[in-house]
Amino acid sequence: MFNFKHEWIETNIGLLLVLTMLAISIGGLVEIAPLFYIKNTVEKVDGVRPYTPLELRGRDIYQREGCYLCHSQMIRPFRDEALRYGHYSLAAESQYDHPFQWGSKRTGPDLARVGGKYSNEWQVAHLTAPRSMVPQSVMPNFPWLVKNELNFSDIEDRMKSLRDTGVPYSLTKSEYDDNVKKFGAQTAEMLSIPDARKNLIAQAQSGNYDGNSGSISEMDALVAYLQMLGTLVDFRKYDDDAFVKYR
Amino acid sequence: MASTAISSNEQYNFEIVKKFAIMSLVWGVIGMAAGVYIASELAWPFLNFDIPYITFGRLRPVHTTSVIFGFGGSALFATSYYIVQRTCQARLSSDGLASFTFWGWQAIILLSGISYMLGHTQSREYAEMEWPIDIMIEIVWVSYLALYVSTIMRRKQPHIYVANWFFLAFILATALLHTFNNLAVPVSLFSMKSYSLFSGTQDAMTEWWYGHNAVGFFLTAAFLGMMYYFVPKQAGRPIYSYRLSIVHFWALSFLYMWVGAHHLHWTALPDWTSTLAATFSIMLLLPSWGGMINGIMTLSGAWDKLRTDPIMRFLIVALSFYGMATFEGPLMALKDVNALSHYTDWTVGHVHSGTLGWVSMITFGSMYHMIPKLWDTKMWSAKLVNIHFWFASIGVLLYITAMWISGITQGLMWRAFDQYGNLQYSFVESVAAMHPFYAMRAIGGMFFLSGMLMMFFNVMMTVRQAKRESAALESKLSAKMAKAGLAGA
Amino acid sequence: MEWLSWFASPENTKPLALVVLFVTFVLIVYFVYGDKKRGERLESYKHMPFMDDEPESKEEKK
Repeated sequence: MFNFKHEWIETNIGLLLVLTMLAISIGGLVEIAPLFYIKNTVEKVDGVRPYTPLELRGRDIYQREGCYLCHSQMIRPFRDEALRYGHYSLAAESQYDHPFQWGSKRTGPDLARVGGKYSNEWQVAHLTAPRSMVPQSVMPNFPWLVKNELNFSDIEDRMKSLRDTGVPYSLTKSEYDDNVKKFGAQTAEMLSIPDARKNLIAQAQSGNYDGNSGSISEMDALVAYLQMLGTLVDFRKYDDDAFVKYR
Repeated sequence: MASTAISSNEQYNFEIVKKFAIMSLVWGVIGMAAGVYIASELAWPFLNFDIPYITFGRLRPVHTTSVIFGFGGSALFATSYYIVQRTCQARLSSDGLASFTFWGWQAIILLSGISYMLGHTQSREYAEMEWPIDIMIEIVWVSYLALYVSTIMRRKQPHIYVANWFFLAFILATALLHTFNNLAVPVSLFSMKSYSLFSGTQDAMTEWWYGHNAVGFFLTAAFLGMMYYFVPKQAGRPIYSYRLSIVHFWALSFLYMWVGAHHLHWTALPDWTSTLAATFSIMLLLPSWGGMINGIMTLSGAWDKLRTDPIMRFLIVALSFYGMATFEGPLMALKDVNALSHYTDWTVGHVHSGTLGWVSMITFGSMYHMIPKLWDTKMWSAKLVNIHFWFASIGVLLYITAMWISGITQGLMWRAFDQYGNLQYSFVESVAAMHPFYAMRAIGGMFFLSGMLMMFFNVMMTVRQAKRESAALESKLSAKMAKAGLAGA
Repeated sequence: MEWLSWFASPENTKPLALVVLFVTFVLIVYFVYGDKKRGERLESYKHMPFMDDEPESKEEKK
């Protein structure tokens, strides 16, 4: 064996830097790189689609207010969580989430499948003053959400940068046609960047999430987002253990 | 005496160390005050006052950023600049670059805090800074690396001391983590908003690879660097085993990077990844305890000082908490334990036994050792150092006890079934059950913050005293000179 | 990139990693603690923090 001396490293800053870099790089490479190449990291399920312009702005507000610090969006495969929250979360369900919002703490309950559980009116009242609906809640009031008008002046830019990351928002006719094939015409319509503004206004007015049809508030966007969470995949179509192999 | 002070000022750049040391205390006070405030918001939600800028969701990153990067980061800049100069016996290679890292870093922390309160966040825990601030961090960090390496290259010793290995690993790892975790596409050149490049599972994995290694390298490896210098200095004897430090340095650097996925047990992350992370988390116990044992055995030769020297007490308690937290960590990385502990306050308690118990305590000890040397005086009040020690210890104990009880209670309540197989508790019942422990946690935090304030006051008085001393010395000296001059004439 | 999936199945990676890591660990420990002379030489570097030329405290300076 050749006569290795640890002193070589201790007296040579270049060698020390290179070897340290090597030591700290391997772990991340082995664990992260394969996730991009192994096909079953994200399973194939029907129904998952990118957010509509209004939902996207709602999601931005969800992030702005730091909701992720107290609410997870990741249901684990346990009996109690199935009873409390529903079917465990699939990787596919957050495949268009830039960034992910799985969270790390449940000061409040998980929100991965909160969509449709409560009425719009309940959501608005609860977000404005949580203790009026749930007396023991420790959630802050968010009274400004109904008052603030939603700013969607840069909605096209937002969708364009998401498109750059790989979300299939369509800018051209051929991209639009691809979306029709992939998601159906109705959804493809909502993913078209040139029509974003029109779609956003239309969804806010037809949904009337905040109970005030006059203007589009931040509440409209946030409730639209909350009401679609976890509703995209129809689990009745799949066997109970259809997804176990991805675990 | 004045002459030695002047010569050491020329030999080393202590000005930059002083600046970082003071700012570390300032951010400590601000960050811990924010921590106490958000803890109180959880116990008494009216404290949110319906003001967007101070609601829990916006203030929490202000707390984490100012304690981790403001308090911890500035303390690391201060001590690493101090240690690298003294163990290499060389002055920092560039005063200008050193100054740049100081002003750059302070601007980063300040801008981050303001931007969070205004609602600009990447919503990635511990990496909430939006893209313009991320670019600033990148620039300051590369300058830090360049300054550190070029100073080591000027060393008068053939050898690079082990503390500097840990600091180098910390600087390299932080650069690597920061770069890859913050890859994002900005909405436009004039917008603070950006969307992360990765999505869903890959994004979660990248974030927790970052998140756990921010703990591993920022809050552990770097503070071990601090330990490897200040523990031997304060104990007055060299480190227990240099060979152990070699083994545990390489093992720690290699193993830490694998364990991030234990934050994602039972999620949609592929099982093999989180199993791998759990396995490496168990292995990580060995190098962690290697470091702890090395520190404790160094101190063990000086037990007699423990009775008289509050700095020694800070150091020994820091090492004990380090040992405890690194035992608890692998335990919580086991999938079965994690099923109960994840998403609960137990995690919060675990983090704080590391950050309050280990990171803050080792910083306090090191600062109390270093500050009198920097200003060439004694601490203004040794008694206050001792009181600080007790306040900090009581604070940590209250905090982690509260979080253990509330975390385990939450975990058990969530999974409790009644005799018919239905869930026994609604979610909000678990929230209500937390109230006394959230109050207790806030009180623990108040103790810790009070200690921090004492330290800040003590250090300010020490600096004032040092200025008075040197002024007195100077006037005495000039009087002597004048007298000598008169006698000569 | 197909070969990467070989590593993705635990029944392949577990024994491989066990062997590789254990051998590395034994080699490092043997290297560090196996040779008495090498050990003494390595331990001699631990005095570095005390080689700083500034006197330790005011008492010593006087």
